[in-house]
Amino acid sequence: MVAAPADQVRTLYRTVLVYAAVSILVFVAGLAEFAYFEPFGQHTGLKVHIAGVYQYDPQHKTTVGSDSNAFPRTVLFAAVVDWSSLPKDIVVDARWYDSFGNAVGGVGPGTPDQLATQTIIPVHVTPPFHHMLPGHYTFVVQRSAGGVPVEVIGRRIVMVER
Amino acid sequence: MGAAVSARGIGSRPHRPARYTLAVAITIALIAVLVASSILNYVYLDTVAGRTSLYGLLSIAVIALGSFGGIRAIVRDPIERGRQYRRAGIFLGLAALAWLLLVDVIVFTDSAGPRIAVICALACVPTTAFGMLILRALDRNETEPWRLVLLAAVWGGVVATSLVIWAEGLWQAIAIRTLVPGPGLDVSMAFSAGILEELAKGCAVLLLFLVVRNEFDDVVDGIIYGAAVGLGFNFMESVSYMTNLYAVFSPEGVGAEAAGFQWYARQVLGLFFGHATYTAFVGAGIGIARQLPDMRRKVIAVVAGFVVAIAAHFSWDAWLSAFPIDKTFEIVEIHVRTLIITGPFTAALLAILFVGLHIEGQALADQFRKEAALGTGAILPEELSILMNPWPRFEQRVRALRRGGMRAYLLVARLQAAQIDLAMERWHRERGELDTPPEADDELRRRVLALRQELLAAVSGR
Repeated sequence: MVAAPADQVRTLYRTVLVYAAVSILVFVAGLAEFAYFEPFGQHTGLKVHIAGVYQYDPQHKTTVGSDSNAFPRTVLFAAVVDWSSLPKDIVVDARWYDSFGNAVGGVGPGTPDQLATQTIIPVHVTPPFHHMLPGHYTFVVQRSAGGVPVEVIGRRIVMVER
Repeated sequence: MGAAVSARGIGSRPHRPARYTLAVAITIALIAVLVASSILNYVYLDTVAGRTSLYGLLSIAVIALGSFGGIRAIVRDPIERGRQYRRAGIFLGLAALAWLLLVDVIVFTDSAGPRIAVICALACVPTTAFGMLILRALDRNETEPWRLVLLAAVWGGVVATSLVIWAEGLWQAIAIRTLVPGPGLDVSMAFSAGILEELAKGCAVLLLFLVVRNEFDDVVDGIIYGAAVGLGFNFMESVSYMTNLYAVFSPEGVGAEAAGFQWYARQVLGLFFGHATYTAFVGAGIGIARQLPDMRRKVIAVVAGFVVAIAAHFSWDAWLSAFPIDKTFEIVEIHVRTLIITGPFTAALLAILFVGLHIEGQALADQFRKEAALGTGAILPEELSILMNPWPRFEQRVRALRRGGMRAYLLVARLQAAQIDLAMERWHRERGELDTPPEADDELRRRVLALRQELLAAVSGR
């Protein structure tokens, strides 16, 4: 037995269905964005040789010490990349990201030959801060196609301690 | 509320509706997820929280089994046994909640130390309490019991956060190691947060719908419970972000500013434009399902509510970075950003809420009139104008306070609640939405009449 107010509940039901339909469009937009930035069929199996992540001396623009996965926040560090390990006809770049996803250093984009002199890729302190912010830092070497990074061909994650 | 209770706390039932079986199945599944999450944390992360959670939950499970066996062996009377089971279940549930809260405290607040964690938590208490009071004020026709609204908030803050720790951590670990940093990764993380967090929070509303049906009447109740879960979740998440950012930025001397900004973003600007809105959509779907006649539409309404909640949550997490904040206009831009991304969802929710309140108000007024016309004495014609609006109801309670003190005030409050319960019961029965026998209505009338007698005695005896 359904009384008159049932029609009003049906109206609410239809309203939430309309909302759900719009929500599905939101998902479609999200998936489209994902597919644009993570295009399918772009996996080449290429791997860049990352020699390591070392403490960085900004005055002499060189690395110091041994390869490490953790650094105190008062020191800078840099990744060392062997660009010669890559084919010459691709476009690549290298980026450092902090734990908030901000780019905090990098080189490129360019061909491995163009980047051959930039094997040391240091991380930068974000102004107005004086030292590195604690957290995970991700270093990626990306292959680009059509101006968009489409594949990560090398990755290192290091920790900046509190 | 146990299975033997019907019709708004009155009478006993000869059988348990199937929804209780579904509720038990969901509860067992959630406990399994919690235990699995603790084991995975223990094995792979080896954190203090993982061990604490694992040993605590296993201890509670052993005590639960012992209690079940003990009650079964000692108590022979089936009614008494059922009562003991419920009592043990409540205590063990509280024990599990306390244990999960301890784990949450370790996981979410240890980064900046206990002093900062306490300060952050204290800063979030008034705003969250304000949010809960606003929910109560919005629920103007038939206010939900505090115990259930608070239980919903506690679920959001303690259980839902515990449920998603492992799954979100795992998703994040895989995504960071496989995807290209940038918008694609942001979208992936947004799907993770939207799906996992809304499922974890929505389970609370679903369980309330299945177990406490007599306090879950319609779309308004669903929105209130859902928003309460969201406020609880938002509380714990705020404390977590505030303490974490304090720890990150304090060596640069701006820890307090970073934590304060998070407090404003999450506890002022995002108090309703955030988790409260998302999970209220889950509640809206379930509340609409409560009043639909057939199972197919019920399921569609519940799923639709979850879909909208996940989309609202996803939109914020995925497209937040599409609105870069310029330092010069930062204070304006963060408000505009919130209004643009979450504003449409909150407005859509408010539209459903106000239509729901209108339907509920009309239905109650109609039932008040019909009950008064019956002449049973449960609702008197002169009470109609009072019962239909919250302000005259409050004035009636204040008049009782002046005449008979606090006891009279409380009795009038209980009388009004019982009268509204009766009207709500009549509404559901008229729409064929009850699994209780018609005699339950008479029980409610008797309760109203008994309260009226008690009130008269309290006022005249003063």
